[in-house]
Amino acid sequence: MEKVIVVQRIDPGSDELKNKRQLAEMKDLAYAAGYSVTGEIIQSRYPDKKYHLGKGKVQELALAVESLNAAKVIFCNELSSLQLYNITEICRCAVIDKFQLILEIFALRATTRRAKLQVELARLEYEIPRARIIVSHLKKEERPGFMGLGSYEDSYEQDIKGRIARIKDELSHVQNHNESLRSFRHDHGLSLVALAGYTNAGKSTLFNALMDEDVDVADMLFTTLSPVARSMDVMGRKVILTDTVGFIEDLPHWLIDAFRSTLNEIFLADIILLVVDASEPLDVMHDKLLTCHETLWEQVHDVSMITIMNKTDLISQEELNEKMEVLGYLVPNPVHISAKTMKGLEALEQAIRSKLPVWKRKEISMPLSEHSMSVLSWLFKEGVVHSVKYADQILVDLEARDEVINKVKSFSNA
Amino acid sequence: MLMFDIIAVDISGRHVEDGEYFMVCVAVSFSVSPDHVDKTHQVNILHFKSRDAPELTDVVTMVEKTVEGLNPQATIIMEAGDMFNRPQWLVTGMFSRGFKYQESLGERRAIEIAHHISVSVRRLFKIKCPPSLQSDEGIL
Repeated sequence: MEKVIVVQRIDPGSDELKNKRQLAEMKDLAYAAGYSVTGEIIQSRYPDKKYHLGKGKVQELALAVESLNAAKVIFCNELSSLQLYNITEICRCAVIDKFQLILEIFALRATTRRAKLQVELARLEYEIPRARIIVSHLKKEERPGFMGLGSYEDSYEQDIKGRIARIKDELSHVQNHNESLRSFRHDHGLSLVALAGYTNAGKSTLFNALMDEDVDVADMLFTTLSPVARSMDVMGRKVILTDTVGFIEDLPHWLIDAFRSTLNEIFLADIILLVVDASEPLDVMHDKLLTCHETLWEQVHDVSMITIMNKTDLISQEELNEKMEVLGYLVPNPVHISAKTMKGLEALEQAIRSKLPVWKRKEISMPLSEHSMSVLSWLFKEGVVHSVKYADQILVDLEARDEVINKVKSFSNA
Repeated sequence: MLMFDIIAVDISGRHVEDGEYFMVCVAVSFSVSPDHVDKTHQVNILHFKSRDAPELTDVVTMVEKTVEGLNPQATIIMEAGDMFNRPQWLVTGMFSRGFKYQESLGERRAIEIAHHISVSVRRLFKIKCPPSLQSDEGIL
């Protein structure tokens, strides 16, 4: 494991608990990226234009890098390219910020071509506003081109823009494919249910518990990157359940845009299951719920939401009630479960069932014939057949969407 | 389903136009759930004029005047930007009733509705009413 030093600059007078939580989250992110945190430096001051921290603190950081033999410095705060350049010059090691670290984790987890393209796109989107400045710093003295009239900056920026356009084009094919798949599923009466929530809330554990699957689960941030979708039977109704990437505080827009085709699995779902780690302290839960609401806002419209208070096996009922009383205004349709001990999954299925579009229930009669039998087998696929009686005719107690009932009616009337 | 009574407030026109600030403050009383707006109870609209840019205390005065008569138990909800991104604890102390920044999806939707109203009303005032007809009642 490579050794790293984590650095945090905090505004004077800012919330101490929040700062501590952000630092702890940064360490978890570093661990998820495969680093071992050997040191931390915190400074309370307003950002410096050149170094972000004070120059003295950066020199102290350089000494720490040398003595601890750290390979990298990770900043909790977003750094400008000038600050990155200046700090690297003094520390003589790689310097990255939170978003570059997230990109590194994503790059590690990206196994599918789509995920790799998304990571590459996010990296380029991050780089483009910095491209000009980085190159102008690196090539300060050089005068490229005929008679020194050319410039590196333009060609580098153009190159990045070209690559972004090519990746977007390729990703749009994936997006189109996903959209047609989504509309195909809708047309066949399948509702789309997505697991959303802060990273490490236990979405994949819940997915495994509901589906009896074995997707990767770890007590680590961003274990899941690529979406996994499976068909699930919810009290007779088929739904598609999707597990996908988690949210994190201050998720920048360019990252959301780069992962648009993945996040659309959440944003375009019919029901969102918002998974919350109920075992965490109240203020942490509040901040994480706030992040989830912020991320979902602007992206989701008229979607049903169920909040899953997960990991309830780790706290007492009184503690949970207290938390619910304080956080009630951020928790739509709560269901208390423990994905690990499988407690409360039935209540969750009932809650999902209550949010599914209402289907009509009708008794339908069909003539006794071979064709009717094949229609009946189709009805088992398309709706919920509560009972079948064979007499002079076939009597079916059917619950299905309008299109299916109309179709079968026209057949029985024919 | 849990419902919460809130008053979503939005102010439009916090920029100079024809040498003055012509602001429309809208307060809408809602019942919201965590993820949607359930009921709209009442809408109060007031407009204000000022030669100088409004400061935090001016914004508080405008909001207090506009929410008068609305459900006294309801909490005032605003965007942090409307209060110059000052910390919530600082702003809350300046109001005579409950105040907080928007958090849940329901609260955000409520603010969005208040924003649409304030922008539309201000536009109507600007287009339909000549300056002489705009009451000076709300001069800051």
